[in-house]
Amino acid sequence: MLLHAVDITKRYGREDVLRAAGLHLQSGEMLSILGRSGSGKTTLLKILAGLEAPDSGQVFLEGRDISGLPPNLRGIVYLYQEPLLFPHLNVFENIAFGLRLRHLPRQDVNARVTQLLDNLELPGHAGKMPHQLSGGQRQRVAFGRALAVQPKVLLLDEPFGALDAETRASMQVLLQQITRQYGITGIFVTHGIKEAIVVGSRIALMRDGGLKAYETIQAFIDDPTTGVRDEMDFWKGLS
Amino acid sequence: MAGRFLKYAFIALLLFPFAFLLMLSFGRGWGYPHVFPEQWTLENWRFILESQAGLGHSVLLSLLVSLGVAVPVTLASFWVSRAVSYSPYRRRWLVLAYLPYVLAPVVLAACLQAFFFRGGLSGKVWGVMAAQLFITFPYGVIFFSGFWNRRMQAMEQLVATLGGSRAQAYIRVLIPVAREALMTCFFQIFLISWFEYGLTTLIGVGKVQTLTLKVFQYVNEANIFLAALAGCLLVLPPVVLLWLNRRYVFSGAGGR
Repeated sequence: MLLHAVDITKRYGREDVLRAAGLHLQSGEMLSILGRSGSGKTTLLKILAGLEAPDSGQVFLEGRDISGLPPNLRGIVYLYQEPLLFPHLNVFENIAFGLRLRHLPRQDVNARVTQLLDNLELPGHAGKMPHQLSGGQRQRVAFGRALAVQPKVLLLDEPFGALDAETRASMQVLLQQITRQYGITGIFVTHGIKEAIVVGSRIALMRDGGLKAYETIQAFIDDPTTGVRDEMDFWKGLS
Repeated sequence: MAGRFLKYAFIALLLFPFAFLLMLSFGRGWGYPHVFPEQWTLENWRFILESQAGLGHSVLLSLLVSLGVAVPVTLASFWVSRAVSYSPYRRRWLVLAYLPYVLAPVVLAACLQAFFFRGGLSGKVWGVMAAQLFITFPYGVIFFSGFWNRRMQAMEQLVATLGGSRAQAYIRVLIPVAREALMTCFFQIFLISWFEYGLTTLIGVGKVQTLTLKVFQYVNEANIFLAALAGCLLVLPPVVLLWLNRRYVFSGAGGR
Protein backbone atom coordinates (compact mmCIF):
# COMPACT_ATOMS: atom_id res chain seq x y z
CA MET A 1 0.00 0.00 0.00
CA LEU A 2 1.44 3.35 -1.00
CA LEU A 3 -0.66 5.81 1.00
CA HIS A 4 -2.64 5.01 4.11
CA ALA A 5 -4.49 7.47 6.33
CA VAL A 6 -6.00 6.32 9.62
CA ASP A 7 -8.63 7.96 11.84
CA ILE A 8 -8.06 11.51 10.67
CA THR A 9 -10.09 14.01 12.65
CA LYS A 10 -10.21 17.75 12.26
CA ARG A 11 -12.38 20.32 13.95
CA TYR A 12 -12.74 24.02 13.11
CA GLY A 13 -14.31 25.79 16.05
CA ARG A 14 -17.39 23.78 16.90
CA GLU A 15 -17.62 22.03 13.58
CA ASP A 16 -16.28 18.51 13.10
CA VAL A 17 -14.99 18.58 9.53
CA LEU A 18 -13.36 15.15 9.57
CA ARG A 19 -14.45 12.33 11.86
CA ALA A 20 -12.06 9.41 11.90
CA ALA A 21 -11.69 9.55 8.13
CA GLY A 22 -9.40 6.97 6.58
CA LEU A 23 -8.27 5.88 3.15
CA HIS A 24 -5.78 3.65 1.42
CA LEU A 25 -4.23 4.00 -1.98
CA GLN A 26 -2.34 1.42 -4.00
CA SER A 27 0.50 2.39 -6.28
CA GLY A 28 -0.72 3.58 -9.70
CA GLU A 29 -4.26 4.09 -8.44
CA MET A 30 -6.31 7.26 -8.96
CA LEU A 31 -8.97 7.66 -6.29
CA SER A 32 -11.78 10.06 -7.12
CA ILE A 33 -13.39 11.66 -4.09
CA LEU A 34 -16.88 13.07 -4.44
CA GLY A 35 -18.62 15.19 -1.89
CA ARG A 36 -20.61 18.32 -1.32
CA SER A 37 -19.00 21.71 -0.70
CA GLY A 38 -17.76 21.94 2.87
CA SER A 39 -17.74 18.17 3.32
CA GLY A 40 -14.04 18.20 4.23
CA LYS A 41 -12.48 17.04 0.94
CA THR A 42 -9.98 19.89 0.75
CA THR A 43 -9.13 19.59 4.44
CA LEU A 44 -8.37 15.88 3.98
CA LEU A 45 -6.11 16.56 0.99
CA LYS A 46 -4.30 19.33 2.85
CA ILE A 47 -3.72 17.03 5.80
CA LEU A 48 -2.29 14.37 3.50
CA ALA A 49 -0.01 16.97 1.90
CA GLY A 50 1.13 18.26 5.29
CA LEU A 51 -0.39 21.71 4.75
CA GLU A 52 -2.80 21.28 7.65
CA ALA A 53 -2.26 19.41 10.90
CA PRO A 54 -4.95 16.92 11.92
CA ASP A 55 -6.29 16.99 15.47
CA SER A 56 -5.65 13.25 15.56
CA GLY A 57 -4.86 10.40 13.19
CA GLN A 58 -1.88 9.27 11.19
CA VAL A 59 -0.71 9.31 7.59
CA PHE A 60 1.58 6.59 6.25
CA LEU A 61 3.47 6.76 2.96
CA GLU A 62 5.19 3.58 1.78
CA GLY A 63 4.67 2.22 5.28
CA ARG A 64 6.40 5.15 6.97
CA ASP A 65 4.55 7.48 9.34
CA ILE A 66 4.81 10.93 7.73
CA SER A 67 2.34 12.66 10.07
CA GLY A 68 5.03 14.94 11.50
CA LEU A 69 6.90 15.52 8.24
CA PRO A 70 6.79 19.02 6.67
CA PRO A 71 5.16 19.26 3.22
CA ASN A 72 8.42 19.83 1.34
CA LEU A 73 9.78 16.46 2.52
CA ARG A 74 6.71 14.31 1.84
CA GLY A 75 6.90 13.90 -1.94
CA ILE A 76 3.19 14.67 -2.19
CA VAL A 77 2.20 17.49 -4.55
CA TYR A 78 -1.08 19.31 -3.96
CA LEU A 79 -2.70 21.07 -6.92
CA TYR A 80 -5.35 23.72 -6.38
CA GLN A 81 -8.39 24.49 -8.46
CA GLU A 82 -6.50 27.51 -9.77
CA PRO A 83 -3.36 26.66 -11.76
CA LEU A 84 -1.35 29.15 -9.66
CA LEU A 85 1.37 29.55 -12.27
CA PHE A 86 4.20 31.76 -11.10
CA PRO A 87 3.54 35.00 -12.98
CA HIS A 88 7.21 36.01 -13.25
CA LEU A 89 8.23 32.74 -14.96
CA ASN A 90 7.49 31.54 -18.49
CA VAL A 91 5.91 28.17 -19.24
CA PHE A 92 9.27 26.35 -19.45
CA GLU A 93 10.49 27.76 -16.15
CA ASN A 94 7.16 27.09 -14.45
CA ILE A 95 7.40 23.41 -15.38
CA ALA A 96 11.10 23.35 -14.48
CA PHE A 97 10.44 25.01 -11.11
CA GLY A 98 10.60 21.91 -8.91
CA LEU A 99 13.65 20.63 -10.76
CA ARG A 100 15.46 23.94 -10.22
CA LEU A 101 14.68 23.64 -6.49
CA ARG A 102 16.50 20.29 -6.56
CA HIS A 103 19.47 21.79 -8.46
CA LEU A 104 19.29 19.18 -11.20
CA PRO A 105 21.80 19.46 -14.09
CA ARG A 106 20.66 21.74 -16.89
CA GLN A 107 20.57 18.94 -19.51
CA ASP A 108 18.31 16.82 -17.31
CA VAL A 109 15.98 19.75 -16.70
CA ASN A 110 15.81 20.57 -20.40
CA ALA A 111 15.14 16.95 -21.37
CA ARG A 112 12.42 16.39 -18.78
CA VAL A 113 10.64 19.69 -19.41
CA THR A 114 10.77 19.29 -23.20
CA GLN A 115 9.26 15.81 -22.93
CA LEU A 116 6.50 17.09 -20.64
CA LEU A 117 5.75 19.98 -22.99
CA ASP A 118 5.27 17.42 -25.79
CA ASN A 119 3.11 15.11 -23.70
CA LEU A 120 0.95 17.98 -22.51
CA GLU A 121 0.49 19.30 -26.05
CA LEU A 122 2.34 22.51 -25.26
CA PRO A 123 5.45 22.35 -27.47
CA GLY A 124 5.07 25.82 -28.98
CA HIS A 125 4.32 27.57 -25.71
CA ALA A 126 7.57 27.17 -23.78
CA GLY A 127 8.50 30.85 -23.96
CA LYS A 128 5.05 32.25 -23.21
CA MET A 129 4.17 33.96 -19.96
CA PRO A 130 1.20 32.66 -17.93
CA HIS A 131 -1.05 35.57 -18.86
CA GLN A 132 -0.67 34.63 -22.55
CA LEU A 133 -2.24 31.19 -22.01
CA SER A 134 -5.84 29.99 -22.00
CA GLY A 135 -7.38 28.42 -18.90
CA GLY A 136 -6.85 24.88 -20.17
CA GLN A 137 -3.24 25.57 -21.15
CA ARG A 138 -2.51 27.02 -17.72
CA GLN A 139 -3.92 23.94 -16.07
CA ARG A 140 -1.74 21.74 -18.31
CA VAL A 141 1.33 23.72 -17.29
CA ALA A 142 0.33 23.24 -13.65
CA PHE A 143 0.17 19.46 -14.26
CA GLY A 144 3.54 19.58 -15.98
CA ARG A 145 5.06 21.43 -13.04
CA ALA A 146 3.72 18.79 -10.66
CA LEU A 147 4.66 15.81 -12.85
CA ALA A 148 8.19 17.11 -13.42
CA VAL A 149 9.15 16.40 -9.82
CA GLN A 150 7.78 12.83 -10.09
CA PRO A 151 5.69 12.97 -6.90
CA LYS A 152 4.89 9.80 -5.01
CA VAL A 153 1.28 11.00 -4.74
CA LEU A 154 -0.50 13.72 -6.69
CA LEU A 155 -3.44 15.44 -4.99
CA LEU A 156 -5.82 17.25 -7.34
CA ASP A 157 -8.37 19.51 -5.68
CA GLU A 158 -11.08 20.21 -8.27
CA PRO A 159 -8.51 21.12 -10.91
CA PHE A 160 -11.10 21.59 -13.67
CA GLY A 161 -13.61 23.54 -11.62
CA ALA A 162 -12.91 26.84 -13.38
CA LEU A 163 -12.86 25.46 -16.95
CA ASP A 164 -15.61 25.50 -19.55
CA ALA A 165 -17.37 22.20 -20.35
CA GLU A 166 -15.47 21.48 -23.58
CA THR A 167 -12.02 22.21 -22.14
CA ARG A 168 -12.97 20.29 -19.05
CA ALA A 169 -13.84 17.18 -21.07
CA SER A 170 -10.56 17.28 -23.01
CA MET A 171 -8.60 17.86 -19.78
CA GLN A 172 -10.25 14.83 -18.18
CA VAL A 173 -9.06 12.65 -21.07
CA LEU A 174 -5.59 14.19 -21.02
CA LEU A 175 -5.28 13.68 -17.27
CA GLN A 176 -6.31 10.07 -17.62
CA GLN A 177 -3.70 9.51 -20.35
CA ILE A 178 -0.94 11.31 -18.48
CA THR A 179 -1.55 9.58 -15.16
CA ARG A 180 -1.44 6.19 -16.88
CA GLN A 181 1.64 7.10 -18.91
CA TYR A 182 3.57 8.30 -15.86
CA GLY A 183 2.08 5.72 -13.49
CA ILE A 184 0.81 8.47 -11.21
CA THR A 185 -0.81 7.60 -7.91
CA GLY A 186 -3.25 10.25 -6.90
CA ILE A 187 -6.43 11.53 -5.39
CA PHE A 188 -8.83 13.54 -7.50
CA VAL A 189 -11.46 15.65 -5.77
CA THR A 190 -14.48 16.69 -7.78
CA HIS A 191 -18.17 17.56 -7.61
CA GLY A 192 -18.98 15.83 -10.90
CA ILE A 193 -20.04 12.17 -10.90
CA LYS A 194 -19.10 11.73 -14.56
CA GLU A 195 -15.72 13.37 -14.02
CA ALA A 196 -15.08 11.12 -11.03
CA ILE A 197 -15.83 8.02 -13.10
CA VAL A 198 -13.78 9.16 -16.13
CA VAL A 199 -10.67 10.10 -14.16
CA GLY A 200 -10.70 7.72 -11.19
CA SER A 201 -9.85 4.06 -11.09
CA ARG A 202 -11.74 3.91 -7.78
CA ILE A 203 -14.31 6.21 -6.19
CA ALA A 204 -14.95 7.36 -2.64
CA LEU A 205 -17.71 9.48 -1.20
CA MET A 206 -17.13 12.08 1.49
CA ARG A 207 -20.08 12.48 3.81
CA ASP A 208 -20.56 13.58 7.43
CA GLY A 209 -16.82 13.89 7.96
CA GLY A 210 -16.13 10.32 6.91
CA LEU A 211 -14.93 8.74 3.69
CA LYS A 212 -16.69 5.77 2.16
CA ALA A 213 -14.54 4.12 -0.49
CA TYR A 214 -16.00 1.75 -3.10
CA GLU A 215 -13.87 -1.14 -4.27
CA THR A 216 -15.27 -0.92 -7.81
CA ILE A 217 -17.01 1.73 -9.85
CA GLN A 218 -19.96 -0.64 -10.25
CA ALA A 219 -20.29 -0.82 -6.45
CA PHE A 220 -20.42 2.96 -6.39
CA ILE A 221 -23.11 3.06 -9.08
CA ASP A 222 -25.14 0.38 -7.31
CA ASP A 223 -25.20 2.24 -3.97
CA PRO A 224 -28.55 4.10 -3.90
CA THR A 225 -27.19 6.76 -1.53
CA THR A 226 -24.71 8.09 -4.11
CA GLY A 227 -27.43 9.49 -6.37
CA VAL A 228 -25.88 7.95 -9.50
CA ARG A 229 -28.96 5.80 -10.19
CA ASP A 230 -31.22 8.85 -9.96
CA GLU A 231 -29.06 10.70 -12.44
CA MET A 232 -28.97 7.76 -14.85
CA ASP A 233 -32.76 7.43 -14.63
CA PHE A 234 -33.11 11.16 -15.34
CA TRP A 235 -31.09 10.91 -18.57
CA LYS A 236 -32.84 7.69 -19.59
CA GLY A 237 -36.18 9.43 -19.02
CA LEU A 238 -35.18 12.23 -21.37
CA SER A 239 -34.18 9.84 -24.15
CA MET B 1 -6.40 72.68 -29.96
CA ALA B 2 -8.02 73.69 -26.68
CA GLY B 3 -7.21 70.26 -25.31
CA ARG B 4 -3.56 70.63 -26.20
CA PHE B 5 -3.46 74.11 -24.66
CA LEU B 6 -4.99 72.80 -21.44
CA LYS B 7 -2.51 69.93 -21.39
CA TYR B 8 0.50 72.24 -21.72
CA ALA B 9 -1.02 74.70 -19.25
CA PHE B 10 -1.40 71.88 -16.76
CA ILE B 11 2.19 70.72 -17.28
CA ALA B 12 3.43 74.31 -16.94
CA LEU B 13 1.42 74.70 -13.75
CA LEU B 14 2.99 71.54 -12.32
CA LEU B 15 6.53 72.49 -13.30
CA PHE B 16 6.33 76.16 -12.34
CA PRO B 17 7.14 75.74 -8.61
CA PHE B 18 10.20 73.63 -9.43
CA ALA B 19 11.40 76.02 -12.15
CA PHE B 20 10.84 78.93 -9.81
CA LEU B 21 12.83 77.26 -7.02
CA LEU B 22 15.66 76.51 -9.44
CA MET B 23 15.69 80.12 -10.63
CA LEU B 24 15.76 81.47 -7.09
CA SER B 25 18.62 79.14 -6.16
CA PHE B 26 20.84 81.03 -8.66
CA GLY B 27 19.68 84.45 -7.50
CA ARG B 28 20.83 87.15 -5.12
CA GLY B 29 19.12 90.41 -4.17
CA TRP B 30 15.51 90.44 -5.17
CA GLY B 31 13.74 93.63 -4.26
CA TYR B 32 10.58 95.32 -5.36
CA PRO B 33 9.72 96.07 -8.19
CA HIS B 34 12.11 93.64 -9.96
CA VAL B 35 10.47 90.63 -11.55
CA PHE B 36 13.65 88.56 -11.35
CA PRO B 37 16.57 88.59 -8.87
CA GLU B 38 19.02 91.42 -9.48
CA GLN B 39 22.08 89.16 -9.54
CA TRP B 40 22.69 85.68 -10.91
CA THR B 41 25.37 83.68 -9.13
CA LEU B 42 26.66 80.18 -8.42
CA GLU B 43 27.57 81.21 -4.88
CA ASN B 44 24.53 79.52 -3.36
CA TRP B 45 25.42 76.22 -5.00
CA ARG B 46 29.08 76.60 -4.01
CA PHE B 47 27.80 76.87 -0.45
CA ILE B 48 26.81 73.21 -0.61
CA LEU B 49 30.39 72.13 -1.04
CA GLU B 50 32.31 74.74 0.93
CA SER B 51 30.46 75.38 4.15
CA GLN B 52 31.06 72.87 6.92
CA ALA B 53 27.60 73.38 8.32
CA GLY B 54 26.20 73.66 4.78
CA LEU B 55 23.77 71.73 2.73
CA GLY B 56 26.15 69.05 1.44
CA HIS B 57 26.32 67.53 4.90
CA SER B 58 22.54 67.71 5.25
CA VAL B 59 22.01 66.02 1.89
CA LEU B 60 24.28 63.12 2.88
CA LEU B 61 22.70 62.92 6.34
CA SER B 62 19.19 62.87 4.87
CA LEU B 63 20.20 60.14 2.43
CA LEU B 64 21.74 58.12 5.25
CA VAL B 65 18.65 58.46 7.43
CA SER B 66 16.12 57.79 4.65
CA LEU B 67 17.99 54.82 3.17
CA GLY B 68 18.76 53.53 6.66
CA VAL B 69 15.05 53.60 7.45
CA ALA B 70 13.55 52.60 4.07
CA VAL B 71 15.67 49.50 3.36
CA PRO B 72 15.26 47.64 6.69
CA VAL B 73 11.66 48.77 7.17
CA THR B 74 10.63 47.56 3.69
CA LEU B 75 12.20 44.15 4.26
CA ALA B 76 11.06 43.77 7.88
CA SER B 77 7.51 44.95 7.23
CA PHE B 78 7.23 42.55 4.26
CA TRP B 79 8.12 39.68 6.56
CA VAL B 80 6.13 40.81 9.61
CA SER B 81 3.10 41.68 7.50
CA ARG B 82 2.96 38.04 6.38
CA ALA B 83 2.74 36.88 10.00
CA VAL B 84 0.08 39.51 10.74
CA SER B 85 -1.98 38.72 7.65
CA TYR B 86 -2.08 34.96 8.28
CA SER B 87 -2.70 35.36 12.00
CA PRO B 88 -6.17 34.50 13.32
CA TYR B 89 -6.00 37.94 15.00
CA ARG B 90 -5.22 39.78 11.77
CA ARG B 91 -7.76 42.53 12.32
CA ARG B 92 -6.57 43.29 15.85
CA TRP B 93 -2.93 43.53 14.74
CA LEU B 94 -3.85 45.84 11.90
CA VAL B 95 -5.84 48.11 14.23
CA LEU B 96 -2.70 48.33 16.38
CA ALA B 97 -0.66 49.20 13.30
CA TYR B 98 -2.94 52.20 12.66
CA LEU B 99 -2.48 53.55 16.21
CA PRO B 100 0.65 55.67 15.53
CA TYR B 101 -1.38 57.63 12.97
CA VAL B 102 -3.97 58.63 15.53
CA LEU B 103 -1.41 61.13 16.84
CA ALA B 104 0.35 63.81 14.83
CA PRO B 105 4.07 62.98 14.42
CA VAL B 106 5.03 65.91 16.67
CA VAL B 107 2.72 64.71 19.44
CA LEU B 108 4.08 61.18 19.01
CA ALA B 109 7.61 62.56 19.26
CA ALA B 110 6.72 64.47 22.43
CA CYS B 111 5.42 61.22 23.93
CA LEU B 112 8.58 59.37 22.97
CA GLN B 113 11.07 62.10 23.81
CA ALA B 114 11.55 61.19 27.48
CA PHE B 115 12.30 57.56 26.62
CA PHE B 116 14.75 58.55 23.90
CA PHE B 117 16.45 60.99 26.24
CA ARG B 118 16.87 58.33 28.93
CA GLY B 119 18.09 55.83 26.31
CA GLY B 120 20.78 58.26 25.16
CA LEU B 121 19.26 58.41 21.67
CA SER B 122 18.17 62.04 21.82
CA GLY B 123 20.14 64.23 19.42
CA LYS B 124 21.66 61.19 17.66
CA VAL B 125 21.23 60.09 14.06
CA TRP B 126 20.41 56.58 15.30
CA GLY B 127 17.79 58.09 17.59
CA VAL B 128 16.08 59.88 14.71
CA MET B 129 16.15 56.71 12.61
CA ALA B 130 14.71 54.70 15.51
CA ALA B 131 12.00 57.33 16.06
CA GLN B 132 11.03 57.24 12.38
CA LEU B 133 10.48 53.50 12.71
CA PHE B 134 7.43 54.30 14.84
CA ILE B 135 5.64 55.73 11.82
CA THR B 136 7.28 53.94 8.90
CA PHE B 137 7.18 50.35 10.17
CA PRO B 138 3.41 50.24 10.82
CA TYR B 139 2.94 51.88 7.43
CA GLY B 140 4.94 49.07 5.79
CA VAL B 141 2.94 46.41 7.64
CA ILE B 142 -0.35 47.99 6.53
CA PHE B 143 0.97 48.43 2.99
CA PHE B 144 1.85 44.74 2.57
CA SER B 145 -1.25 43.41 4.35
CA GLY B 146 -3.06 43.53 1.00
CA PHE B 147 -0.32 41.52 -0.68
CA TRP B 148 -0.57 38.53 1.65
CA ASN B 149 -3.85 37.05 0.49
CA ARG B 150 -5.18 33.53 -0.01
CA ARG B 151 -3.60 33.32 -3.44
CA MET B 152 -0.14 34.12 -2.08
CA GLN B 153 -0.65 31.63 0.73
CA ALA B 154 -1.66 28.99 -1.82
CA MET B 155 1.41 29.77 -3.92
CA GLU B 156 3.64 29.42 -0.89
CA GLN B 157 2.03 26.09 -0.03
CA LEU B 158 2.44 24.95 -3.61
CA VAL B 159 6.18 25.68 -3.46
CA ALA B 160 6.33 23.61 -0.26
CA THR B 161 4.60 20.58 -1.80
CA LEU B 162 6.89 20.88 -4.84
CA GLY B 163 9.77 20.38 -2.42
CA GLY B 164 10.80 23.95 -1.68
CA SER B 165 11.84 25.28 1.72
CA ARG B 166 10.48 28.52 3.20
CA ALA B 167 13.65 30.34 2.07
CA GLN B 168 13.27 29.00 -1.47
CA ALA B 169 9.64 30.13 -1.51
CA TYR B 170 10.76 33.65 -0.60
CA ILE B 171 13.71 33.83 -2.99
CA ARG B 172 12.17 32.13 -6.01
CA VAL B 173 8.53 33.17 -5.80
CA LEU B 174 7.35 35.59 -3.14
CA ILE B 175 10.02 38.28 -3.56
CA PRO B 176 9.93 38.22 -7.40
CA VAL B 177 6.12 38.35 -7.36
CA ALA B 178 6.22 41.17 -4.80
CA ARG B 179 8.90 43.13 -6.68
CA GLU B 180 6.61 46.01 -7.65
CA ALA B 181 5.05 46.18 -4.19
CA LEU B 182 8.49 46.11 -2.55
CA MET B 183 9.77 48.91 -4.77
CA THR B 184 6.67 51.01 -4.19
CA CYS B 185 6.84 50.49 -0.43
CA PHE B 186 10.55 51.35 -0.38
CA PHE B 187 9.84 54.48 -2.41
CA GLN B 188 7.03 55.63 -0.13
CA ILE B 189 8.89 54.94 3.11
CA PHE B 190 11.92 56.74 1.72
CA LEU B 191 9.69 59.75 1.03
CA ILE B 192 8.06 59.64 4.48
CA SER B 193 11.50 59.62 6.07
CA TRP B 194 12.95 62.18 3.65
CA PHE B 195 10.26 64.78 4.34
CA GLU B 196 9.84 63.95 8.06
CA TYR B 197 9.98 67.09 10.20
CA GLY B 198 8.21 66.76 13.56
CA LEU B 199 9.89 63.63 14.92
CA THR B 200 13.28 64.63 13.53
CA THR B 201 13.12 68.06 15.13
CA LEU B 202 12.12 66.84 18.58
CA ILE B 203 14.19 63.65 18.80
CA GLY B 204 17.13 65.21 16.95
CA VAL B 205 16.96 68.28 19.28
CA GLY B 206 18.46 70.43 16.53
CA LYS B 207 21.62 68.33 16.29
CA VAL B 208 20.44 66.13 13.44
CA GLN B 209 20.06 68.66 10.64
CA THR B 210 18.37 66.84 7.78
CA LEU B 211 17.66 68.67 4.55
CA THR B 212 13.99 69.13 5.42
CA LEU B 213 14.99 70.84 8.67
CA LYS B 214 17.43 73.04 6.74
CA VAL B 215 14.70 74.22 4.40
CA PHE B 216 12.55 75.26 7.35
CA GLN B 217 15.56 76.90 8.99
CA TYR B 218 16.28 79.02 5.89
CA VAL B 219 12.62 79.88 5.51
CA ASN B 220 12.51 81.02 9.14
CA GLU B 221 15.62 83.12 8.54
CA ALA B 222 13.91 84.63 5.46
CA ASN B 223 16.88 83.42 3.38
CA ILE B 224 14.81 82.71 0.30
CA PHE B 225 17.77 81.89 -1.98
CA LEU B 226 19.25 79.20 0.27
CA ALA B 227 15.72 77.97 1.06
CA ALA B 228 15.12 77.64 -2.69
CA LEU B 229 18.42 75.83 -3.13
CA ALA B 230 17.63 73.45 -0.27
CA GLY B 231 14.17 72.97 -1.79
CA CYS B 232 15.77 72.00 -5.11
CA LEU B 233 17.95 69.45 -3.35
CA LEU B 234 14.96 68.23 -1.40
CA VAL B 235 12.93 67.32 -4.47
CA LEU B 236 15.86 65.79 -6.37
CA PRO B 237 15.94 62.29 -4.78
CA PRO B 238 12.14 61.86 -4.95
CA VAL B 239 12.25 62.84 -8.62
CA VAL B 240 15.03 60.29 -9.27
CA LEU B 241 13.06 57.62 -7.39
CA LEU B 242 9.92 58.50 -9.29
CA TRP B 243 11.78 58.13 -12.57
CA LEU B 244 13.30 54.81 -11.47
CA ASN B 245 9.86 53.59 -10.43
CA ARG B 246 8.36 54.53 -13.77
CA ARG B 247 11.29 53.15 -15.73
CA TYR B 248 11.87 49.86 -13.95
CA VAL B 249 8.78 49.03 -11.94
CA PHE B 250 5.56 50.13 -13.57
CA SER B 251 6.84 49.72 -17.14
CA GLY B 252 7.78 46.10 -16.31
CA ALA B 253 11.14 46.69 -18.03
CA GLY B 254 13.20 45.75 -15.06
CA GLY B 255 12.28 42.09 -14.77
CA ARG B 256 12.35 38.88 -16.74
